[in-house]
Amino acid sequence: MPTHQEPALRTTGLRKTFGHHVAVDDIDLVVPAGSFYGLVGPNGAGKTTTLAMAVGLLRPDAGRAEIFGVDVWRDTVQAKQLIGVLPDGNAMPERLTGREVLTYLGLLRGLDPDVVAERTDELLQVLELDSAERTLVIEYSTGMRKKIGLAIALLHAPRLLVLDEPFEAVDPVSAATIKAILRRFAGNGGSVIISSHVMALVEQVCDHVGVISDGRVVAAGPLAEVRGAGTLEDAFVDLVGAHTAGSEGLAWLTP
Amino acid sequence: MAHSLTPTPAPAALARHMIRMRLALMRNSLRGDNATNLYAGVAFGLLLAVGTIAVAVLWPAYLPLTLAVWLSGWVFGPIFIGGGSEALRPEYFTMLPAPPGRIAAALLAGAFAGPVPAVNLVALLSLPVYGWRFGPAGVLIGLVAAVTTLVTMVMISRVIVALIGLFVRSRATATAVGVVTGTAIALCSNGWAPVAALGGTDTSAWFEVLFRVLPSGWGVAAIEGPWPLALAILAAGAGVIALLLAVWSSLLSRRVASAARGGVPARRGAPRPFPRTGGARVTAAKELRAWWRDLVRIQLLAVAFSFAIVMPVLLLAIGVWGMVPFAGLIAIVMAAAASANLYGSDGTALWLTLMTPGAERSDVRGRQLAWLLVVGPAAALLTLAGTLVSGQDWAWPWVLGLFPALLGGGAGLVVLLAVTSLVPGTDPHKRGGNPLSTGADETAETSLAWLVLIAVPSVALPTAGAILLDPWAGVATGLLTGVLSVWGLGAIACRRLEKRGIELLNLMKYGPAPEADKPTTADLPLVHRIGVTVCYTLAWLPLFPQGLVPMVMKIFGAGDPVWFLALHLPPVWQWPTIIFMIALGMLMYGYAILVPMRLSSSSTVEGGGTGRA
Repeated sequence: MPTHQEPALRTTGLRKTFGHHVAVDDIDLVVPAGSFYGLVGPNGAGKTTTLAMAVGLLRPDAGRAEIFGVDVWRDTVQAKQLIGVLPDGNAMPERLTGREVLTYLGLLRGLDPDVVAERTDELLQVLELDSAERTLVIEYSTGMRKKIGLAIALLHAPRLLVLDEPFEAVDPVSAATIKAILRRFAGNGGSVIISSHVMALVEQVCDHVGVISDGRVVAAGPLAEVRGAGTLEDAFVDLVGAHTAGSEGLAWLTP
Repeated sequence: MAHSLTPTPAPAALARHMIRMRLALMRNSLRGDNATNLYAGVAFGLLLAVGTIAVAVLWPAYLPLTLAVWLSGWVFGPIFIGGGSEALRPEYFTMLPAPPGRIAAALLAGAFAGPVPAVNLVALLSLPVYGWRFGPAGVLIGLVAAVTTLVTMVMISRVIVALIGLFVRSRATATAVGVVTGTAIALCSNGWAPVAALGGTDTSAWFEVLFRVLPSGWGVAAIEGPWPLALAILAAGAGVIALLLAVWSSLLSRRVASAARGGVPARRGAPRPFPRTGGARVTAAKELRAWWRDLVRIQLLAVAFSFAIVMPVLLLAIGVWGMVPFAGLIAIVMAAAASANLYGSDGTALWLTLMTPGAERSDVRGRQLAWLLVVGPAAALLTLAGTLVSGQDWAWPWVLGLFPALLGGGAGLVVLLAVTSLVPGTDPHKRGGNPLSTGADETAETSLAWLVLIAVPSVALPTAGAILLDPWAGVATGLLTGVLSVWGLGAIACRRLEKRGIELLNLMKYGPAPEADKPTTADLPLVHRIGVTVCYTLAWLPLFPQGLVPMVMKIFGAGDPVWFLALHLPPVWQWPTIIFMIALGMLMYGYAILVPMRLSSSSTVEGGGTGRA
């Protein structure tokens, strides 16, 4: 039975290979219940693959993922009731308007029609999507797609939110709104995992971080521990062992 | 100014780069099944090209007709495969600092750097061969005409693609493209009937004129004409090319500037609210909206229904009414074939179904319900009207029995094949400027459609048998078959989606996983590869016009023998020939579908992805 003592997410030895490329190499992560967790790493480090395996959208080659103690790959239905997910770049029911998408998914989950209508109204209003009442999702801008995706993740009031790059392509005003919503959710005891490569943002909103590089966890824990004395960005560059390029070459680039 | 601006690329250099880029794209895509399809296609195309040259030598009178067939390939090819595949999309080059006309000319050069124009050029060498009859000057004119004809054909094709891309923005235009396509397919199968009615083999004068007036026939006309006329025709050809190029470049610049995405028709007013229900019914409500708002689906339905109406009507030219009652049944089968890639065309939206607890069942059942609602009433109307109007009373037990069997079979097979043989495409929100293209592999989608065309009628075979025994038993069998198919095949699809949904999602997200030790179609021996292509392309010939059509004609004792081999033979041999032809056609289809499927089914759905982290 899931309890609050169980971590919101625990992955044990998660592994995924694409052809000869090891995308995720034995990842162990523990996301404490009630935490706001930032998963950071360079492009291609395995963040998206890890999150997809953790929520049940990609079958791992090895390892386990548990959400509040529920095995994602054994008790799939129970695990799905606990989480709200925003994957990166997936399609949606493109020929529906934003309101129709939320109504459809709420009814499909078996929520009461009145509850669905009420939540849909509020979500569209808070995320400022209600002005596009006649626009089909296929015509949405990238930022609008992120926002409707977030609304979908929130609709059934999950206990854990797993959001892949929730702030990418979102304008500053909407980003502030989303941050406020997520903070409130975490303040009320909800757990949030976001992936990002914007260090300043992670530092601002998260209380725990995990750093992934080349498919492995190179550091994880409370934010203060991981970043030490400096900024998260300095710690990150140290951890992934990259040197910052850009000061050499490109001599011709003079306007 | 302190620094030099990027120079405008020279026309020749631009064209050269486009050609290189096109060849590089082709090289990079030459892996696995793509390579197989290409080699087999080129081999088959060369066979046809050599055949065209043979026509020029042996039956010169039919050369204009043969060349018109090549032209029709360029005209209808891009419509059949959803607006044509454009390897070099005009959108890639919007920011090049060059005038649109110059970019269009360079793109055109790129369009020639492929196997299809090369094969077509071989076919057009039939023109100088034909010219040989008229002496050295004929050969010379033939050579020039071969080049101008090729450019004209490619240009016409490009202009059609551009027109579709630009103007198919509403339900009306999507339906229009669908109706043209459906009519063209119907003409391919039953177009002989009006021709036979108009005088059959007596290729009267107007035919000769018609095929020389078409752009494909100008070369022949130039070769046959006196010198001044020949030169005038060639000059006119060059003028037409210049005109087409101008039209094309203006269409292109309008297309890249119009931002319409994914073929969404315009709407007025707020949409009707969703029904307050759950489960399969709410999915059906979503699907019905998709059928009404997706131009690709609208166009495919228009193809299905226009084919079903035009095909039987063509036979009226020779006084055969026997097909008319079956128009609705044909529509069901065609609509099923058009809907065979339901999950593939929605793309990665499947993740929402997979993340909603227990939604897989509602999704499959909802899609079945929506399909029945979209196709059923229209097909029923067509069946009733066709049977009443034609006055073919003997057809009643057949249509009443076969209708539920086919409709149920279609609703069952559509969802089953959508989850077992999914063909991944491009996600709707990432598609290019072409509203009718789903980005899926056309060859694979076409084989899926053929599979449905054969599978749906076979579901109704027991019903047909029962009708022969007793008409009313047939109607009962039809109802039972239909209900069982919807329920049973749908149940298999539900279980499949529950167990393998994740794999389907990742097949669409990352494409099929190439695994070293698993065989792909590319591993088929070359003989099989060519065999599969030849069977695909030619199997309709024995099955439909030489098998089923003479069978129907023999049963009803109607019409002339025209070109039906069986009806020219002594009566003793007629039935064996018809049965042999039907069996041959089915064997060819079976071979062409089953051989590659046995290999690819084990390799596509199993794996995870190709490499993204």
